[in-house]
Amino acid sequence: MKLNTKDLLSAGLFIAFAVVGLWLNQDHNLGTARRMGPGYMPMLTFWLLIGLGCIVLLLGLFNGPDPLAKWSSAEIGFLIAGPVVGVVVGMIAARIPGFPSAGWNAFGIGLFVGCLVAAVPPGWRALFLPSAAFTLFGLALEPLGFLVAIIAAVICSAFADKEHLERPLGVAGLCTFLCALCWAIFIRYLDIRVPLWPQL
Amino acid sequence: MDLWANLAHGFSVALTFNNLLFCLIGCIIGTAIGVLPGIGPVATISLLLPITFGQPATTAIIMLAGIYYGAQYGGSTTAILLNLPGEVSSVVTTLEGYKMARRGRAGAALTVAALASFFAGCVSTVLVAASGPLLTSVALSFGPADYFSLMLLGLIISAVLAQGSVVKSIGMVVFGVALGLVGTDVQTGQQRFTFGIPELSDGIGFVSIAMGMFGIAEIILNLEKPEARSVMSGKVGSLMMTREEVRRSIPSVLRGTTVGSLLGILPGGGAALSSFGSYMMERKISKGRHEFGTGAIEGVAGPESANNAASQTSFIPLLTLGIPANAVMALMVGALIIQGIQPGPRMVEAQPDLFWGLIASMWIGNLMLLVINLPMIGLWVKLLAIPYRHMYPSILIFCAIGVYSLQNNVFDVYQTVFFGLFGYLCSKLRLEPAPMLIGFVLGPMMEEHLRRAMLLSRGDVMVFVQRPISATMLAIGAIALIAMLMPNIRKGKDKALLE
Repeated sequence: MKLNTKDLLSAGLFIAFAVVGLWLNQDHNLGTARRMGPGYMPMLTFWLLIGLGCIVLLLGLFNGPDPLAKWSSAEIGFLIAGPVVGVVVGMIAARIPGFPSAGWNAFGIGLFVGCLVAAVPPGWRALFLPSAAFTLFGLALEPLGFLVAIIAAVICSAFADKEHLERPLGVAGLCTFLCALCWAIFIRYLDIRVPLWPQL
Repeated sequence: MDLWANLAHGFSVALTFNNLLFCLIGCIIGTAIGVLPGIGPVATISLLLPITFGQPATTAIIMLAGIYYGAQYGGSTTAILLNLPGEVSSVVTTLEGYKMARRGRAGAALTVAALASFFAGCVSTVLVAASGPLLTSVALSFGPADYFSLMLLGLIISAVLAQGSVVKSIGMVVFGVALGLVGTDVQTGQQRFTFGIPELSDGIGFVSIAMGMFGIAEIILNLEKPEARSVMSGKVGSLMMTREEVRRSIPSVLRGTTVGSLLGILPGGGAALSSFGSYMMERKISKGRHEFGTGAIEGVAGPESANNAASQTSFIPLLTLGIPANAVMALMVGALIIQGIQPGPRMVEAQPDLFWGLIASMWIGNLMLLVINLPMIGLWVKLLAIPYRHMYPSILIFCAIGVYSLQNNVFDVYQTVFFGLFGYLCSKLRLEPAPMLIGFVLGPMMEEHLRRAMLLSRGDVMVFVQRPISATMLAIGAIALIAMLMPNIRKGKDKALLE
């Protein structure tokens, strides 16, 4: 077999994105070539993307083999479970009054939980723990303040590297250093508008 | 002559305390990330974009430019001493540079790399200064159709020169253009693809895309592969070059500067491509070609001058036409737009401080780099002792604070996470993120020019081939595409980019 899995998946990505785009573009007025409406350029772009996707697809049938790395069944399972759990948790959070449903919090909670669930198999930790840490920073920043958000995000991201777990003191040192540095740059010098301490 | 008056004005701008300070900061940061593998100029500049918003536009661009060409200096240090390229553009420097270090000539290799970079930097700065007003006067006669074709050409060439499959790179360009469609339609005010999310009505955040695709995705990829850090063995030795080495380097530096200056202007070109081009050339035609593989000084002098020349001439299309030649320049466009400056041919006249100040600062910056690099090499090498496990949480936190502080909105933070995951997926599927970023930046401008051109021509598509400038651009683009379909040329390119 000469199937190029990476090319076939890329083609799938292009075509799927373009088809969804074309479907959404039905709401926009196309106009004429002379007086283009808001929908004209999207139409051209998405059809071009479909065309390119088809070329990649055709080439991908012959220029392989280029398989993806092998995934264990746990990795596949949690990769699917992550987004599912994330969406469910996000929808539940949106119904709870107060903090969980305010602003983008429900979205953030869903994203965070989804990333955590997907990070259960060791193979996915490098991918999903930094993402989870980044989301956690966003979640914690406004209610808990700048410093707590930094510490939470550093600790969460530290789990992505095995060596950190053996040296908890190093992580603590890193937290202190980053808190001091970020305070000096962002609060003291740039004066960005964020709460520094938890908002009770 | 006008040029001198302008340059004098530029120096008066660049020599103010604030601009000097930020030029220095940019050069230091650039050298640091050049030395450190695992973080490149694209990630750093997107990381620091939010910090520059409080600064005047000129200061911001001066600092960001310093990071870009500073990284070319720093990258060569670790390439020579540790066989470890800090940047893509210094990969070829490892070939001869590290061999020289093994022969005990590390000091000479470092000196020639720094002096070659300095010389190339000075020459290419003159080139930017001279070609700026010239190209601008040409560009002012461009109509909307010409602009559209020019941007199309830029996109095609950036895809053609990108690593890997050309079709996939073009696909990524179009993907980027499609992402650029999100937001309010400029002419009718209608919301497009915003799903009713108010945060998207100004379009997807440029910084979110850049940080996600280049910052976070890079962290993830680095974490996945085990850390390989070599320790420096042996001493740097005397920094002085022998007379023989000087004599052999001079022609290589001249050739490298020429190759680098030319390849830097090309869209999709830039430092990495030109250092490789120069290496190939030296291996073929330099006097010391039979010594290649054992530490020939030509193999350091040529590529190092080329990558620095290219990193400066790649500002030419940006400053004169408003077209970014590579991902770093796309970030500069983003920085300018956020500062309220529309990059384009009118910029030289409307923003003389920015244009001439930047040119003067490049000169000063190159001088600073020479000073901070050569005597302090030991210090920079010590940076490598910082393990990656301490670096990545710091990068992550900086990204997060930066992206939040753009609009004080956590939506941008979550958006960045999405692009980080998407960037990881792209790299696994061998889809290049750089063409996508360029497409995203140029897309909205292209739409505007396309609509204007079609309105002027009353809906006649032929306008694109009837106007001579536009027709020429399209012809060059078509030739570039056809050339890539030829198996021989394509193989040559793949070989050139993979080695």
